[in-house]
Amino acid sequence: MKICVLYGTETGNAEMLAEDIQSALEDDHDVTCRNLADTDPAALDGETFHVVVCSTYGDGDLPASAQPFADRLEDGAHDLSGVRFAIFGLGDAEYDETFTQGSEKLAAKFKARGATQIGARLTHDASGDDLPEDIALPWITDILANMSVEQEEG
Amino acid sequence: MAGKIAIVGAGPSGCYVAQAFLKADPGLEVDLIDALPVPFGLVRYGVAADHQGTKGVMRQFARIFERQGARFFGNVHIGRDVTLKALREAYDAVVLAAGLCEDRRLSIPGGDLPGVHGAAALTRALHEHPQAGALPALGPHPLILGNGNVAIDLLRLLCKTSEELNGTDLGPGPSAWLAGNAFEAITIVGRSPAARAKFDPVMIRELGKLGNVSIKVEGAGRSEEPEEQKRLEALAAIDGHGSGPLKVTFRFELRPLSVEGKDRVAGLRVEGPNGEETVRASSVLTAIGFDSNGDLDRATLLDEAGEREAGKLADGLFAAGWFRRGPRGTIPDSRTEAQATAAAILEEMAPDPARAGPAIFHKLENVVDYAGWQRIDAAELARSTPERCRQKLPSTGELLRAATQQDIDQ
Repeated sequence: MKICVLYGTETGNAEMLAEDIQSALEDDHDVTCRNLADTDPAALDGETFHVVVCSTYGDGDLPASAQPFADRLEDGAHDLSGVRFAIFGLGDAEYDETFTQGSEKLAAKFKARGATQIGARLTHDASGDDLPEDIALPWITDILANMSVEQEEG
Repeated sequence: MAGKIAIVGAGPSGCYVAQAFLKADPGLEVDLIDALPVPFGLVRYGVAADHQGTKGVMRQFARIFERQGARFFGNVHIGRDVTLKALREAYDAVVLAAGLCEDRRLSIPGGDLPGVHGAAALTRALHEHPQAGALPALGPHPLILGNGNVAIDLLRLLCKTSEELNGTDLGPGPSAWLAGNAFEAITIVGRSPAARAKFDPVMIRELGKLGNVSIKVEGAGRSEEPEEQKRLEALAAIDGHGSGPLKVTFRFELRPLSVEGKDRVAGLRVEGPNGEETVRASSVLTAIGFDSNGDLDRATLLDEAGEREAGKLADGLFAAGWFRRGPRGTIPDSRTEAQATAAAILEEMAPDPARAGPAIFHKLENVVDYAGWQRIDAAELARSTPERCRQKLPSTGELLRAATQQDIDQ
């Protein structure tokens, strides 16, 4: 499968996780990894499965590198119908009111433009004991397994 | 390219610069040198003990050493153990990212009375920096002067109960000190109007979770500007919070005139919109910015810098982070700047294979390498308790012993 891992990052933690996801998947798939800051919404296509990793910054805001992408998505009349994505959020539950709102807001923006979300949005808590990759890698492996089952059945 | 790069200071700025270099060109030799036996600078000793999530960037920084090949030379003080001149001769490029560790002085009458303490010194002591002094007695009514995130961190830590400190890495000494303080009231005083205070709104909102306090916000004023409104909304949200015994009062637009008191602090004389007054205080904790401690002769280097804005000080000599731009900006700001700095250096660097590189450290004693730090890290994690996620080794001696300890226990 063609997979593009997209990340929205502020401190680099989401970028690191995106790279981990790329490494974990690239034996079986054709995987690229890119910063949302360098991504044009118009370039998202239906053939590629998009795996989005997005943190939260400030008061539940999108991280800096996702902001220009979100603005472009808002401004242009982009039609993302046919685009499939999964999204993983990073946050810090110390700030419980705004925990992982960055990824939540970004998912809503994708869907508002007609994109289809595959699987549930899972999140990692920076103040918790787990490592982000220990949650994200089984998450994406499951999603991909389900997708291939559906493909075979379909 | 096989260039040799030395980065002085293994804090967040230095680490991000190293990361950017090795991402741009994995063939570079990147050495991080720190005066302390441990890496990560302010992430370890400045980011508050109850903000462990923020310290998560340490995992990224660890990878620079563990996977990307950067080397660590800890307990090496440039300017004392090795001259900056010798370092510049040994490397194709030197990046100074040593930060700013001194408190900016409160230069008003009484500013040096006993009972006036800098937030940097206090923060270091709270977080068991090996060169920190003892935690001082603050009396029942500390006054925090300053309205940045450093001031808010200090306020929050001073207000937390033992239970609220669970899950942190605050050491037994500082924990006992906090528990024994018995503050009655803490006043936090800002020079600017609330709308233009420097703290992030999220830091203010966090205070609304404190259990032992009752918070009052006085004279916050109004604003039509959206960013300023966010700050005021956050303050409004905590105004009136709690009914705890520790009274916290926010005051704004007060210009400090003098510290009052005979042989120690008794109050702070200020001038505000309603004239002059003396705010009662048993100690004054200044969080009004950081300054150089004179190390590396920063002032002269910056004065003589060729392209100061771009962080270029001289041929092959660059600056990054707070050392470069002063004590402003967050961890992500350093990351953005680091990427630009590394790219600019790579553009002009002309590697000379004859340069000695890290051989200049070989004669030094007690240099801590990355494996040494990993032994310290393991020792500190092994000392963690159900209430503490880590227990730092608080002195240089203990850190050095742990760095060289063989794993005999395992």
